[in-house]
Amino acid sequence: MFIRGIGGIDMDLYFWIFAAIAVIAGLFTIAARDALPSAMGLLTVFISLASLYLHLHAPLLAIFQVAIYAGAILVLIVFVIMLLMTPGERFATIQANVSYRIFGAILGLCLIGLMAVGTKGVSDIMAMKGIFEGFGNPSIFGDLFFHDFLLHFEVVSVLLLVAMIGGIYLCKKKL
Amino acid sequence: MATLTHYIVLSSILFGLGAIGFCTRRNALILFMSIELMLNAVNLMLVAFSNFRADMAGQVMVLFIFAVAAAEVAVGLAILIGLFRHVREVDITKFNVLKW
Repeated sequence: MFIRGIGGIDMDLYFWIFAAIAVIAGLFTIAARDALPSAMGLLTVFISLASLYLHLHAPLLAIFQVAIYAGAILVLIVFVIMLLMTPGERFATIQANVSYRIFGAILGLCLIGLMAVGTKGVSDIMAMKGIFEGFGNPSIFGDLFFHDFLLHFEVVSVLLLVAMIGGIYLCKKKL
Repeated sequence: MATLTHYIVLSSILFGLGAIGFCTRRNALILFMSIELMLNAVNLMLVAFSNFRADMAGQVMVLFIFAVAAAEVAVGLAILIGLFRHVREVDITKFNVLKW
């Protein structure tokens, strides 16, 4: 009934791996002493949740999770962290020691490999009971988004415009 | 087999972590990240329900949450930078001008 054994990896194991990564990285996010390691923990949470979205038949949301959350929101947060640090602190955070670098590289490669497995699982998915053909398809998503939720879409565009104007106004030199 | 219950528990744990972080930390930037963690937990819950109830409206709502999160971060970080100009500190206990 549920997707099992796609690409040689049990999809149940896939869930447990990413659930564990998300919880550990979430703990790290709230427990880290400095803001920058905390942001890296949050990045790991975002990526592992994107992988779980692949498992849940939402490939488009997985892409948006990486592009909007990890790509836009987190970059903004890291930018502000770096902006508010003194130059000495900034230098100290960039100079990570070698074992951390190796650990980070291995973790990143493992994440990429697991996400590749998840993408393969989505591409040759077996129909789950009660899920119609093409569930999670971007075309159906777009149809729903621009037809049934058109008013909400327009309201959200106004919200983003207001946020943009507010952000520019609040950053003026003399407030 | 990962069922809906698994996802609800995972999402609750992540939301709880975010709430604990928000209540216990004093660094304003980490508070922001705790809020993001809570929003992501809600997103996971919506996507899980969308999958197990075979209704795609949940996925569309996640996209709206993305937009709200982006707006929240843009305005919040602008306020934080404005505060930092005055106080030179990101510790929220130092923002006590309006405190009675």
